[in-house]
Amino acid sequence: MAAEELPSEFDVVILGTGLVESVVAAACSRVGQRVLHLDRRSYYAANWASFTFNGLLTWIQQHHEESQSEEVQDRSSLLEEGEELIYLCNSDSASISNLQVFCYTRETHEEEEEEAPTPDPDPADTTEVETSADGDNGVKETSETVSADSKEKETKDEASDEKEEEQSQAPHTDGEEPETAQPQPPTAPSQSEPVRKKISYTHLVKEGRRFNIDLVSKLMFSRGSLVDLLIKSNVSRYAEFKNITRILTYRNGNTEQVPCSRADVFASRQLSVVEKRKLMRFLTSCVEETEEQQVYNGRPYLEFLRDQHLGDNLQHFLLHSIAMVTEDTPTEVGLTSTRHFLRSLGRYGNTPFLFPVYGLGEIPQCFCRMCAVFGGIYCLRHSVQCLLVDKNTNRCKGVIDSRGQRISCSHFVVEDGFVSAERKKVATPPRSISRAVLITDASILPSDSDQQVSMVTVPPIAAGSPSVTMVELCSATMTCAPGTYLVHLTCQSVGSAHEDLSPVVTRMFHTSESHDQDERPSVLWCLYFNMADGSAAQVEGHDLPSNVHMCSGPDGGLGHEHAITQAQSIFDKILPQEDFCPPAPNPEDIIYTEEETKKEGVEEEEEKETTKEGEEEEEEKTNEEEKETKKEKEEEEEETKPLKEEHKAIQPEELWRAEVLDLLTQLVLVQKEAAQHQAQVVQLLGMLGTQNSQQIQDLQNMGRHQSLLVENHQALLLQTSRIANHLHDITKKPAAASQ
Amino acid sequence: MQQELLFKVLVIGDLGVGKTSIIKRYVHQIYSQHYRATIGVDFALKVLRWDSDTVIRLQLWDIAGQERYGNMTRVYYREAVGALVVFDVTRASTFDAVLKWKDDLDSKVTLNHGRPVPAVLLANKSDHLASQQPKLDSFCRENGFVGWFETSAKENTNIEEAARCLVEHILNNEESPMIEREPGSLVLSGFTNATKGHLNCSSCVKQ
Ligand SMILES: Nc1nc2c(ncn2[C@@H]2O[C@H](COP(=O)(O)OP(=O)(O)OP(=O)(O)O)[C@@H](O)[C@H]2O)c(=O)[nH]1
Ligand SMILES: [Mg+2]
Repeated sequence: MAAEELPSEFDVVILGTGLVESVVAAACSRVGQRVLHLDRRSYYAANWASFTFNGLLTWIQQHHEESQSEEVQDRSSLLEEGEELIYLCNSDSASISNLQVFCYTRETHEEEEEEAPTPDPDPADTTEVETSADGDNGVKETSETVSADSKEKETKDEASDEKEEEQSQAPHTDGEEPETAQPQPPTAPSQSEPVRKKISYTHLVKEGRRFNIDLVSKLMFSRGSLVDLLIKSNVSRYAEFKNITRILTYRNGNTEQVPCSRADVFASRQLSVVEKRKLMRFLTSCVEETEEQQVYNGRPYLEFLRDQHLGDNLQHFLLHSIAMVTEDTPTEVGLTSTRHFLRSLGRYGNTPFLFPVYGLGEIPQCFCRMCAVFGGIYCLRHSVQCLLVDKNTNRCKGVIDSRGQRISCSHFVVEDGFVSAERKKVATPPRSISRAVLITDASILPSDSDQQVSMVTVPPIAAGSPSVTMVELCSATMTCAPGTYLVHLTCQSVGSAHEDLSPVVTRMFHTSESHDQDERPSVLWCLYFNMADGSAAQVEGHDLPSNVHMCSGPDGGLGHEHAITQAQSIFDKILPQEDFCPPAPNPEDIIYTEEETKKEGVEEEEEKETTKEGEEEEEEKTNEEEKETKKEKEEEEEETKPLKEEHKAIQPEELWRAEVLDLLTQLVLVQKEAAQHQAQVVQLLGMLGTQNSQQIQDLQNMGRHQSLLVENHQALLLQTSRIANHLHDITKKPAAASQ
Repeated sequence: MQQELLFKVLVIGDLGVGKTSIIKRYVHQIYSQHYRATIGVDFALKVLRWDSDTVIRLQLWDIAGQERYGNMTRVYYREAVGALVVFDVTRASTFDAVLKWKDDLDSKVTLNHGRPVPAVLLANKSDHLASQQPKLDSFCRENGFVGWFETSAKENTNIEEAARCLVEHILNNEESPMIEREPGSLVLSGFTNATKGHLNCSSCVKQ
């Protein structure tokens, strides 16, 4: 852990540990480049990071303080003949603005303390909480405990008549100096406690390390470029994923579920039979580009949808929840995103989306780990102060780090926050993303399961308002404490994050400003902030040497296409001949058992071979038992998604299996529906008192046959899936058996 | 029925104390004077036939020498159930760093309900020692190590014993939490590779 001097020569030096930089780092290291990867911060993943609750409070604190810039040391003494310096800026705080924090829960709730589901029975006094918060800052390297918790919070009495305006004048507005710590004592409990038990602020702090709160809110499209890259590179082995279990939309003051998979459509109760058919027909037809569609190029997608005569319901679903575009998005763009959505459907679950367990902040770290495993060197709290540029060639020859060490490199990759504004070419006016993070006490749409992961689309709630994407995470994603939900809201900024998003929050959730009806989930704590939109920075055209590559921060899109595309293009510029992230070998491929470890002093290579042989026998023996135990385990397992295993689903026989099962499932569903209709007809005919009993009998017979058919198909479905499973098992074996 | 347990164990300590040598000795039964970084491998796997009905798969996670500047990713710490903290008896500074490593470990990984993972202290390169060294018993007690061993990767002393000691403590932890754990909170799912899910040993015990 000692502060060792770094080696002075690398192929690639990378500053910033955001997603793009981390992917580039892993890709370069994987193909043998010597990589030095630095970050000025004390945590990984830059603006892509996730924090424990206490870690987030510290982050907020730091952003309030980060106005004073460090003194720039003159490094010209380190210059050699023909070189000049480009200084980097050392403060990235510009990318975050308008931070505002609100706390809508009390410091403690006496009642709750007793019934709280915490395993620890001690009644927590404040000092204890403060200490337990120490060092819990998952990503924080230091244990510098700021009493951010007390500083940033306001204790609001739920029954008080605080108005919105007063809220926004809270002492958290951007640019203001942070107040000195003044922990507000909980307001005297004169009012009677509300009926619904609220989770106290103390409880949130105490359970703080159960939270993994992402600065960015994105989802992974099942067939998007990030998932493909994770699988291709084997980086997927470092993470696990959950399905987004449902897609919701906010409409006419209600939250409704959007049917999107074929099974969903058939099972939906909101849609009429006619709508179901229309929707299926539409979804099938838009997979391919048609002339009819082209006529609408340049015209709004909404117009195209209207002309399909789909009705209001479907139109809303298709526009806002499936294409996820606005009313004036051109048709061709709307169709492209519709297709993107449809392509990702059915790969892993009922929706096209996945979310990493422990939060998105894991993803850059997974790539960093891959880089390190292939020899990359990591230093946090360590920056680059300036670049050494050859005057003649205008290429960067190396860098001078924050300790004044000269480090040579052939390429320098840098997060855009470190490049001074004058050198950057960005879109004008600068775009930004509005973000809100809420901790709530209930799901936005309660259902049988309290572990739903939901994507919610919220169309503009007033003219000129942005459309908002909301992701509600449950504790099974390991991003929030049991009994709470973590809700992320994101939109393209129109105003400040608070201006853009608080109208949605107050409408959909219970906050202290709104206590008219209480079915809505309560917000316990929330944070608003704006983040610079990474897609605003151009890739080319910056005033930088040709071997300096700038990476942008998170963009406002839902997926990761922007970041991954950028990482690949930077890699291609650095190493045009090399493969981008080829699969890393699996460490489990080499197994040594205890029996073989008796020999000594054998050459390494030989040793490897003998153990391998021995190990195979071993494998053979235990294979059968293992298989059984494995199966059991698989069944017990939660639906976390190992990307690797699912990856096999795209092998031909697996594809066949999925396809057949899918088709059969549909067949059964359609037939069931048909049978129901027949039953209805029979019933209606009976009610009409039809004299022709022969007709009824015929129909009843038909109905019987129909249900037989359904049964047969269900049996077929079962058998096919058995065969498929069997095939799946034996295709796994031959690798071991054939050797 | 035979149970198979999978444990992720971290091997941490300062630069050059012998972490890689210890792992190579323990897992591959080799020792080399020449330092060679292992590239492209996350961990070495040691399969232990613990008793007649228990097989233990120990994943030994070396610090990618690269992360030795003290910045491990969460991926490294995640789901670990034990650690070997190594220092070099010939260099006092590496002993001083032991507590830093222990603190870092405790701040980043805990068992359910916040208890620290068991850690064993290894006083490595003990082949260099001529005389009797001071006992570290009280040091261990004070600083939350479950035990300590004078080891030598070179002469293969005490490495198996140290690992055995750690595994015993891990197993103890495995048994007791079963009572404490509420059924709903067993979500912790492990590393995504062929052995996925085994890390959560409760799933194995259930069989
Ligand atoms: N005499 C002696 N030398 C040892 C022993 N263990 C390791 N060494 C030597 O110490 C040096 C460093 O050992 P490594 O195993 O590479 O140490 P490490 O902790 O993995 O080092 P980094 O990965 O660089 O942090 C090598 O030259 C080893 O041969 C030991 O038990 N006795
Ligand atoms: Mg090593």
